[in-house]
Parts: sequence; structure tokens; C-alpha cells
Amino acid sequence: MKKNVFKLMMLSAIMSLTFSCGEDYLDKSPEGGLITLNQLADAGAVNPDILIGTMDGVYTTTFNTGTGGTGGHDDFGQKAYDIFGDMLSGDMALSLSTYGWYRASITELQCTQDFTYSDNYQVWRHYYRVVKNANIVIGTIGGTDFDPETDVNRYILGQALAMRAHSLFYLTQYESRDYMPDAEILPLYTENQNLGQPKSTTNDVYTFIERDLNRAIDLLDGYNRPTKTQVNKPVAQAILAYVLASKRNAWPEVAALTSEVMSTNGATLMSSGEVTGGFNNVATPGWFWGVDLTTDIGLGLVSWWGQIDYFSYSYAAYGDSKAIDENLYNAIPADDARKAQFYDVAGSLFLMPLDKFYDDDRVPAGASGTVTADYVYMRQAEMILLNAEALAKSGSDGPAREMLRSLMSQRVPDTSYLNALSGAALQDEIYLQTRIELWGEGKSYLALKRNQGTVNRGPNHLSFVGESMSYDDERLTFEIPEAELQDNVNIDSQNQ
Amino acid sequence: MKLKLTWLLTLFMAFVMQFSFAQEKTVTGTVTTATDGMPLPGASVIVKGTSRGQQTDFDGKYTIKVDQGDVLVISYVGMTPGEITIGAANTYDIALEDANTLDEVVIVGYGTTTKKAYAGTATVVKSENIETKNFSNVSQSLAGEAAGVTVINTSGQPGSTSTIRIRGFGSVNGNRAPLYVVDGVPFSGSLNSINPSDIKTTTILKDATATAIYGSRGANGVILITTKGGTASESYIEVDVRTGINTQLIDRYEVITDPEEFIGYVWEANVNREILGGNADPVGTVNNTLFTTLINPVYNMWNVANGAELIDPATGKVRAGVTRKFTPKNYAEEAFNPAYRTEANLRMGGGNEDVKYFVSAGFLDDSGYIINSGYKRYTTRLNINAKVKPWLKLGANLGYAYSETLANGQTNGAENLFEFADKMPPIYGIFLRDDNQDLVEDPIFGGFQYDYGSISAINNGFAPRARPASDGLNPIASALYDYVGTDRHEINGSFNANINIAEGLTFETTFGAQYSNNVFKNTSNQFYGGAAPSGGTLFQRDTETLTMNFLQLLRYRKDFGKHSIEALVAHESNDFDRSRITANKSKSVIPGVYEINNYIVDDFPVSGFSEGRTLESYFGQINYDYDDKYYLTGSLRRDGSSRFAYEKYGTFYSIGGAWILSNEDFLADNDLFTFLKLKGSFGTTGDENGVGFYTGIDTFNASNLGGSIAIAPNTFENESLTWETAKQYQVGVEFGLGNWLDASFDYFVKDTENLIFSRRNPPSSGVAVITVNDGELRNYGLEFDLTGHIISKDDFTLDVSLNGAMYDNEITTMPLEPATGLPKILDRQGNYAYTKGGSIYDFYIREYAGVDPADGYPMWNQYYDDVNGDGLFDSGDTAIQSMTDYLDANPDANVEKTLTKTYADATERFNDGKSGIPDVAGAFRIAARYKNWNLSTQFTYSLGGYAYDNQYAELIHDNNSGISGTNRHIDIRDRWQQPGDITSVPRIADRVIPNVRSQSTRFLIKKDYLALNNILLGYTLSSKFLDNTGLDMVNLYVSGDNLFVKSARVGYNASLSESGSSGRATYAPLTTFTLGVKLKF
Repeated sequence: MKKNVFKLMMLSAIMSLTFSCGEDYLDKSPEGGLITLNQLADAGAVNPDILIGTMDGVYTTTFNTGTGGTGGHDDFGQKAYDIFGDMLSGDMALSLSTYGWYRASITELQCTQDFTYSDNYQVWRHYYRVVKNANIVIGTIGGTDFDPETDVNRYILGQALAMRAHSLFYLTQYESRDYMPDAEILPLYTENQNLGQPKSTTNDVYTFIERDLNRAIDLLDGYNRPTKTQVNKPVAQAILAYVLASKRNAWPEVAALTSEVMSTNGATLMSSGEVTGGFNNVATPGWFWGVDLTTDIGLGLVSWWGQIDYFSYSYAAYGDSKAIDENLYNAIPADDARKAQFYDVAGSLFLMPLDKFYDDDRVPAGASGTVTADYVYMRQAEMILLNAEALAKSGSDGPAREMLRSLMSQRVPDTSYLNALSGAALQDEIYLQTRIELWGEGKSYLALKRNQGTVNRGPNHLSFVGESMSYDDERLTFEIPEAELQDNVNIDSQNQ
Repeated sequence: MKLKLTWLLTLFMAFVMQFSFAQEKTVTGTVTTATDGMPLPGASVIVKGTSRGQQTDFDGKYTIKVDQGDVLVISYVGMTPGEITIGAANTYDIALEDANTLDEVVIVGYGTTTKKAYAGTATVVKSENIETKNFSNVSQSLAGEAAGVTVINTSGQPGSTSTIRIRGFGSVNGNRAPLYVVDGVPFSGSLNSINPSDIKTTTILKDATATAIYGSRGANGVILITTKGGTASESYIEVDVRTGINTQLIDRYEVITDPEEFIGYVWEANVNREILGGNADPVGTVNNTLFTTLINPVYNMWNVANGAELIDPATGKVRAGVTRKFTPKNYAEEAFNPAYRTEANLRMGGGNEDVKYFVSAGFLDDSGYIINSGYKRYTTRLNINAKVKPWLKLGANLGYAYSETLANGQTNGAENLFEFADKMPPIYGIFLRDDNQDLVEDPIFGGFQYDYGSISAINNGFAPRARPASDGLNPIASALYDYVGTDRHEINGSFNANINIAEGLTFETTFGAQYSNNVFKNTSNQFYGGAAPSGGTLFQRDTETLTMNFLQLLRYRKDFGKHSIEALVAHESNDFDRSRITANKSKSVIPGVYEINNYIVDDFPVSGFSEGRTLESYFGQINYDYDDKYYLTGSLRRDGSSRFAYEKYGTFYSIGGAWILSNEDFLADNDLFTFLKLKGSFGTTGDENGVGFYTGIDTFNASNLGGSIAIAPNTFENESLTWETAKQYQVGVEFGLGNWLDASFDYFVKDTENLIFSRRNPPSSGVAVITVNDGELRNYGLEFDLTGHIISKDDFTLDVSLNGAMYDNEITTMPLEPATGLPKILDRQGNYAYTKGGSIYDFYIREYAGVDPADGYPMWNQYYDDVNGDGLFDSGDTAIQSMTDYLDANPDANVEKTLTKTYADATERFNDGKSGIPDVAGAFRIAARYKNWNLSTQFTYSLGGYAYDNQYAELIHDNNSGISGTNRHIDIRDRWQQPGDITSVPRIADRVIPNVRSQSTRFLIKKDYLALNNILLGYTLSSKFLDNTGLDMVNLYVSGDNLFVKSARVGYNASLSESGSSGRATYAPLTTFTLGVKLKF
């Protein structure tokens, strides 16, 4: 009897342990790694930084690795596509290829003719990913047309709209040969659309982009951003200036926008000294949009610096040389401060930008595997050049010349040669100076299309040397990736 | 007086009797087999309740000191033990009956049964078949041991665990791995923590009756491992020691090894490149650039100045008479060397009726055949069972393992010895040469410096120069000077109590825990290579895992006449947690010290997180049998998992029955069937393991952007995601024919519903893939297991066994296309595509159509809808991009075929039924015993099916780095060279010809293979040699593992991946030759 009582006591003790698992036993949340939506919502209720943080997450998406969905070492956000563009424009030569990144696909123009190449997927996936992330923020605030009450929310919505427009703008450039208003080119997604959409016409896409940017400019009025990473009003205006310029029919607006940006963005033109010393630091006064890369952000080999810079732990130091096109280099006057940016000794480093883009440790192959040199997205010089271009193309040669002179006076000792330039010659000079000044900064491709230029590769390229390609050559724009055609029932053809 | 005398006598007698009862005497006897009366050597004779005993000699005789009234227990493997009560006699002979294997206890989910009674399919893998193989864990040893169990050896790295698949392909995107259960506790640790020499039985559960009791975790089969325990009948010490050699006998791909041959291809490919590029002087250009821009002159190993002097343009080959300045030392020969394997295990066991114990210790030192790859392990296990009170039994089973894995030279995508061995052109040697092509002394490690291309040049002050292949890397040096390794502590333990509450009613509870602490370090030295500029780097990742499993179970067992019933109800909870910390540092202070504080710079911030999941289950089971003829079983289980956000619970059940026809009267007198059983089962099982820990809810990543929190989406999820459920039907038959054949056949159909499925979305929607429950998949197949006892003589036995499985797989319902709401017509999955009625391994790729004899360009098949019916592809016709989609939209299409040289225009289609699923796969074993010798061999085989040979594709044509950057497969000898050449290998032209190695049927390969998995020859020393040695048993053996693989292409091995497709950096399975000795005291 006594024994049985004891046994029952033991049993009940064990049973009580058993069923004390409780109702929340099956609710498990990650700690420190991933964050679930529920955790985020709970934290957001007590920490206002969370909502701002989701907008900042749109920016991290622009420089994090793998956002193109490939895991390749050429998949690292906006700057990855800047390299694609620089190479397609011919201004950046792959002058030695050991690991083969960019080789056959980009520099031999194979991917742009074959939708099965993953680079096509990468471009498409990245920019639409940014669109999606921006749409989440827009949806959280209340939608594209919502008028937020608080300044904080107005600024967040403004930034999100600007970033959505920015990505769509790059897609128009990379996916369409030229500005053809009636051509169907891209699917559009608002914050409410999740299913695959059909393509919209160029005209509708631009209307969408311009509406987003005009609204962003309005919403961002008064916004004082914490770092140069965030889009403020001048950045949104600069994006709009590029968008309008790409249409080639709104030059006065472009001139006005760039002019306003220059006067309000707080940036200065990089000096002749800074052009050989200021491209690794976002604090350089010439920059008004960029990212301060830190150890915390943790980029390494897979980054723009890991592809371009000989003084980083990089492919550039391991036999994949990226150099300025030899013809373009030869077009730089001998007394131009920018000539010193490039290494002029024959060999595997010939014409590499050893004195433009370098980690300031200046140890070949990098003193560290971590990238702490910064990313530049926009700087004052490009506003000066775009303003000059817009003025010249709207017939104001005089002001255009003076605007260009304001830059050239910081580069060459004598700018009197400008006085003789007008009309097409002036426009050509502005285009040339744009290519030289902004070499390697991802703006050459936009300039090529805007200026309806012709690619003519110099002798330090590995392929297509001397062959002319028009800006609207089919080989210079990406294809809609195979996956989109397979998985979107509303899209079944490439762009014209 | 008489009375007094009687009393005295009685007393005396009693005294005498007493005396004689206590008197020890020596008895002898002979043990024979009942079937043929032959003596049985090596049988164990133990005094019951003691540890005293010995073994019969070669003539089956024993001599033992006993007291009258003692009981001798005589036992021998495979025989039913006999008992003898010692009386007055001095000689006791006994004949042992063959044990009926049908009555052997089989461990199944939450209980035991016998092979005879079981309605499900449980394959018991004999421990002797596992012991003959030389692996660090049981996973590789299971190869070929059971029908329908596929073992995939993903790496030859010592200490790696193989992937196991039971019954084919259960899920599309979900989990396919079986559940491991060790001593009754679901196991989520590393199998390496269980020394195979501690394993008593391994049981593989396949059908629903067997696995449904594991509910949510049983869908892909269950592997039950039971470790050894003590015994009441004898105390023993067993020692086994083995030593051997690991080497590489499994072939690698055949590549060009001759530098002269290779440089000829470089020249030819570049001349073709110039020709196709329109160069007017292709030969002259290449002659001038061969050792300037194409290949740095430092790699010119010949006594020539340029291409013109080296190559005869007429043949494209190196001119006769060209001599070498030096011969570069080859990566493969330096990387691969035979290495030693040593293993020692000590096991002790014993006990009495109330307390039994088992203790073991093991040591393994297993070195791989590449430089600095190896595995060292120390294991111990303690297993105690005690009957504390007549109603209370307690048990504790505790295993501990400490292991050190050294995995140098295997970095993926970079400094990988295997990739260099296969792909490094033979013109580049392992050692650095200066601008005068002299070797460069190494002031730090001695000898000569290794070649890292431009990095070496920079460090040594030479002109910067790039090696065209893998510049900056040298895996030989990094394998020697760097360290990649894992130190792991692991404990797995279970504690159980069994309380007898009332007659037939017991309460059982088991608490099991598995804990591991895993420290992975990857360092690069500060002197040479990529980390030299930053002064050496350290990456460290500490991972801690803890699984706790708590089971409470109430069991009732009762016999009523011919009826017997067993029922149980239980509750179980399982909690898995993993936490991880990583650090990246650089600039080493003391070379060779791999601790965080020895590096002074933080390269990346420290990161750390924890994650986990919980499971809670309620379940019950009823087993009923009638008269040893009819068996019925049923189970029900309800599981909840924290993985699913909202739909947490699933319910699973099974029913099964078996009928032993051979116990029926109408078969009682038949001579054909010694045993005949029919069985059938139906049940449902689930799976939750194929999705991440946090599904159904969107997840985000947080990072530091300029001091602010930045939150970016990580994964977009589907909130209604829940269990994948499998319904499995099975019928089977088991029978014995005479004494010469045992056989079993199972036929099953497994319908998996609510498939965990990665739905591909339009990438433009921003969500490229989302995990949903959608679609239905049917797996079905036949499994067979045959053992023939060809010869069963007393001193000669020969058994041949064969097992195999024939599977097929069919998508019965396609997942929905969200845009239309209808089932998808086609869903692309890499090389495969899914469609209704197809399998998940049906290739859907472009078709290679050979080489155009006119220009050497590759061609592919382009199908078109011949709208105008003229048999030509011309205007008005429609090109078909994707056949299945097109035919769905245009069922009346008039499909014709033409050739295209534009890859993108080629049509994707199902390739005439080529599928990755083999027709039949399995193993056969031949086991023989002659007197004291035993021999066993095991072969595995697979017939039918195709795979994609990715590695061959990379070796036969241009990679990104072109011909001077990658070695070539010898098939390049068959390339197109001039108009009119008929070949399937296109012209080589250094990256000019696009898509030359793009995905197509060109790289499909037949998966057929035959492999000699294991061979063992053993000798057991006759007991007559062991008298007075104190030894009970001595067994000597030699064995070999992974001796050869015969496949469709030398170097291709279908058993290395689940799909059979090849990949980079294959660490082919180790071939191991072992000499071993097993002693028992």
C-alpha cells in the first residue's frame, strides 16, 4: 500500500513536469540573427527607429551582396551594375582576365544577346528587389498617395518613392535600347501588387517614375538626413534630372534641377588634389550621395572595391585588371590632373586607376580583407557636367561653357580652349569631360545613351578592339531574363 | 539408543550431504549442433549468475569446475541457448538448436517486437556487417545493407557523415533525410559521436506502420540505433585494434598531364580565336603573344623564345627537338599521398541479474590521402541498467566523444587541392620561379617558396605578373601552412525509468539530451598567399547545440489465452537550440597560434545569434495478436511544431496487419515454405524539417548603417505554410524456402501531399521564390531482399544475398500558378522540370546536336511549329522556346526539328524520357566460412537513369579563364580541327564560341555503376591454441573498402550526390586497406 502511494507520487511529479510545457512551448523566436515580422512589430511599438530602419534597409539592399540572386562575385548591388555599365560603354577595359569575371559575358557581349546568361537575371532581380523593399516601406506608411501627418513619415515615404524611381530608372536604361515612348519595356509594381504584371510602355514607366520623384521632392522638403546615404531633396532632384535627361526632350528642366541641386546639396567640386586622393571617403566634400562603408557593414572581396582596386583584397590585384580605355586615356591632356589617376607603365597594371580608386593603406592586394573605403553614388562634378550638357543642348552655349569651365579650371592649367567651342563641338567636349571626370563611377553608360554616342574600344581591351557600336546597339542592353519569361504568364517577349 | 543413533546418523548424513553439496567438482562435456551432431567450437559455457565460464575447444569440448546444483548456460551466436543443471554426473553433453531468427527481438518505435510478428518493414543491419567496414560512423557502413537505403558519400574527408535516403525521393523541396533515434531518443547530433563499435543493432524502418509512430518526423524513414549493454551471463573484455592505409584508388577524371600536349591546345585555341576574330595573321599573332600576354614568360618551361620556335604550325604540336629548361612539379602528385588509419576499441561488460554494465573506450586516427586532412576521435560510453526494486528499473546511457577534424586544402572555390589537381594546366608548377626562372628559397618554412602568381611576385619584388590560372592561390602551400579544422565535444545521454504500476501496466519515462560544442577555425598564414598583406587571418565559428527530449509513456500488456494485447499512450516533447558566434580577425602575433587574441585586428564585427525549434507530441499505439497467426497494429500521433507560424499541428496515423500463413494448419505439413507471412499497412507521416526554423512569417536582417539600425527583408514567407503529409500504402511478403532461401518483397505507394514546394515567382515581383504547400507527388516501388544459403556444411558455409529497389516517381498534381489560379503546366528546377505525370528528375534542357562539320561550331536542336507545312523552318513558322508550354497552348502544333547554332534559340524540352531515377539499385554480398576462415564481399550497383556531369562540362571546354587557365579532359583530343571532321567535341577557340559548355544534353551521363564496396578476409584462432592464455577468442582479419567503381566515364561517380550529378572539388571516397585483430578475454 505504502509502495503504491509512493509510486503515485512519483508519477504525478513526472506528469506535472510533462504537461508544464505550456501553451507557448511551440512559440519560438530567433534571437540575434533573423528577425520575424512579429518581433519587428513588437519592437516597432516601443522603438521608433525601427520604422526608419526599414527605410535604411532599402539602402543596405543597394550595396549588400547577392541581391541579384546569384551569389556571384560580381553581385553586390548598385555598384555591380555600375561596372556592367562602365564596361558596356567601353570606357572601362578588362585588360587582363585570370578569373574571368565579366569576360565572356559582359566584355564579349555574350549575355546581352542571350537571355539564358545569369547576368541578365542579376540586373533584373536586383532592381526589382529594391522596388519591392521600397514598396514594403511605402505600404507600411500608407501607400503612394497617402499624405503622412508626421514629418518623420513624410521623409520616409519620400525616400522610399525616390528609391523606387531610382531603380526603375536604371531598369529603363539597362533593359531598353533607347527612349522609345510607345515600346513596352517593364512591368510596374505598386505597393499593392504582388503577382507578375505585364509590361508597360516606356511612356507609362517614365510617368510612374516622374510622379514618384516629384512627390518625393515635395515630401523631402525640410528633411535633414543623418548621413550621406539617405536620399534628401537634392538627391531626389538629381535623380529626376537624370531621368528627364535620358528622355532628351526636357533640357531646360534638367538645367534648372541640376542648378538647384548644386546650390542646395552642400557639396563642392572635388579639387585637383582631391581627384587623386578623395575617392575612398564619403566625407570628401565633393560627394553628396554615397555610403560610408565600415567594418560593421562587413564587405570584403565581393564588392566594387574587390573588383576594381589593386590596393584592396581584390580580383584587380589577382590578375583581373580593370583599366581606363586606352583611347579615352589618350584623350586626357598631359597637363590634366586626372591623367595622374592612371598607372602609365606597360604590364599587367597598365592604365589601372591606381591613383583614383585605392584603399588608403596602399598595400598591394590589400592590408585587410575588409572594405572600409567608401562607395560614391553622386558628386558635385556630375551635376556641373549635366548642367552644362543641359544648357548646351537647350542652346545656351555661353552659360554651358562657363559651367564646364568651372570644372575644367580645377583640372587643367589653361581653359582658354573652351572659348572656341560651341554647338556640337561644345556638346562633344562636355560628353568627353563627363567620361573622363566620372570614369569608373558608373555614369558613362547613362552618358553614352543620353549623348547617343558610339563605343569604340581602344587597344587595351581584350575583345572588339576598334569595332564601332552605336549606343542603341542591341548588344549594349540586357535581356529580360529567362526566369521572368518562364514564371510570368504576362510577359512572353523580349524588348524591341 | 536406536533412536539416538538414527538421529546421529541423520545429523551425520546431513553434514555429509551438506559437505558434498558444497563440494566443487570438475565436469566435462561436448557441445554439438542438433541438426547434424557435429561438435561446436567456440561456444560459450557460463555458470549462470556468475561471470565464470569458458569456451569449447576445437572439438566442442569443455571442462569446467562447478558445484552440484549450478546451472550452465551454453550459448553460441545463431543458436538457441541451452541450460544444464549439474547433478551427480560428471559428463554433460548438449546439442544446441539453430536459433529461429524469426524470434529475434527487433527494436521498433517505442517498443520491441519480433521479426515474425511485425506487420511493418524493419530491416535489421547486422553489427558484424557494420564492423567489417572502416568508417568513423555508421552512415557509410549502411551502404548496400538494406533494400531501398541509398548512401551518398559526399566527401572522402575522414570523419564525414554520409547522406542517407530511404525509399527514394520523398519530397520535392522539403526534407528527405531520415530520422535517427539512438537508444530511444530522437537524435539531432553528429553520428560521429557514436562509435560504430558500440552499436549493437541498427534497424531501418521504412513503411508507415513502422514510422507513423514517429509522426511528424517519420516521413523519410527512421534509423534506430541501439548501443551495446551489459550482460548477466558473462563478464568480458574485448579489444579490437586495426591499422591500415587510406589511399585513392577511385579514379579521377582523365585530364591532360603532358605540358607539351597542353601548350599545343593553348596555341591552337588562340589561333582559332584570332581566325574567328578576323585577324589576318593569326599564327603570327599567337606566336608573338603566347609567352607575353597569353602566358607570362616565367611559365615558359622550354628552351625557346616564342611560340614560333615552340610550335610547328603545320601540326599545332610542339616541334620535335624542343627541350625543357625544367619540369614543373605537378599539383596532383604533391597533393595525394597514402596515409595511415589506426583504430583501437576496448569494450568491457558484465553484471548480474539486477545490475548490468557496459563500458567502452575508443580511439581513431584517420588520415586522408590529401595533405593535412584527417580525423582524430576519442569516444567513451557507459551504459548501466539496474533493477532498484522489483517494480522499478533505472537505466543510464552516456556517450562522450571528442574529435578533431583537420580539413586543409578543401576551401570551396579557391584553394582546393582537388580542383587544382583536376584543373590546373600541367604547365604551371607548384613552386615559385623568379624572373630568371630559378626556384626561390623559403627563409621561413625552409625549402622553396610556392607559386602564388602575382602575390608571390609582389612579395618577392619581382615584376608584378599574373598566373593565368587561379592567380594568387596555391592550395599545396595553404594545405601545409594554414589550418582549417574543427574541434568538437559531444555528449549524448539518456536516462530512463520503468515503473511497474500493476500487473501488465508500466510507466516508462526517458529523458534524453544531446549537447555539442563545435569550434571551427579557418586560418591563413601571415607569410604567403592572400592573407600575407593583412598579416594572417583567423575565422572562428563556435556553435553550441542542445537537444532535449522528454518522453512519458504508459504501457499495458496482457495475454488472454490465445489473445495478446499491448497498448501505449505517451507524450513527448523535443527542444532543439543552436547558438553561434563568429569572429574574423587578422594580423597574427605568434605564428601557428590559432586563438582570437593572437590576432590584433577586427576584420569584421563579431556576430552571434541563436535559433531553434520545439516539437510537442501526443501519441498512442495498440498491438494485438491472435495465436501467433494474426497480428494487428494501429497508431495515432498528434504533433505540433514551432516551425510553422500558425498551422502548427498535424495528426498522423497508421494501421497494419500481418498473417503468418505458415502457422496455419493447412500449411503445417508443407515442405516448401518453412515460413510465410503476408503483411499490409497504411499510414500517414509528416515532415517539418524541410523548412527553416521560422516559416510562415516574413523575416528580416538588421545591420548598422552609419550608426542607425537598418532593417532589410530576408525571406518572404507564406503564413499558411504547414506540414507536408505522406500517405503510404504497403503490401509485403516474407518467406523462407527450405533452409536455403530467405526472401522478402515489399511494394509500396507513397503519396506526398501538401508538398513543401519552392514556388518560383516572376523575379520582377521582388519575390523570386516562396515556399508553399502545393502539389502532390507519388513515389512507388518494389524492394526485395534475398539471402540464399548456398552451402551449409558444418565447416563450410556460403551465403549469397542480393537486395535491390526499383522506384519511380510521379507528380500527380502540379502546384498552382498564382497568376491564373490553375495548376502550372511546367515548373523549371535547374536541369529538370516538373509537369503532371512526370517525375521530379526528368531532364528538361536544350538538346545537343553535335558539331557542324563545316566550321566546328556546336549545334542544338530547334523545334518549330511548321505552320505552313513545308518541312522547312521559314517565315510563317513559329520557333518553340519551351516545348511543353507551347504544346499546351497549341495542342495541334505541327512540330518539326531543325538545327541551330544559336543556343538561346534551341528548344527546351523533356529529353525523350531521360530521367535521374535508376531502374534498379542495390547491393549484393557473398559471405563464406571455411573452417576458421571467413570471407565476405559486398558490391553495390545501380542500373538505369541519367545524371548531369557538370565537372566534365567544366573540364572539356572554356571556363571564364579560358584555355590558359584551365586544364582539359583528354576528350579534347577528339575536337573538331578542320572542315569535314565528324566529332561531337567542338572546335577550341578560347571563349570565342559562345555557349560551348552551356547546359545541354551533351553533358548527360548514364548513372549505371558497379562498385566493390568492401571485402574482408578473417581467421579465428582455434580455441585449442588459447588454453592457458587467458584469451577466449582471437580473430585476425584484413579488409578493403571502396576498392573500385566502374561507371560510364572514368572519374565520374554517381554515388557522390543524390541526383548523381557531378560537381567541383570531389574528395573521392577513401580506399582503405586494414589489418585488424579482435581479442576477447
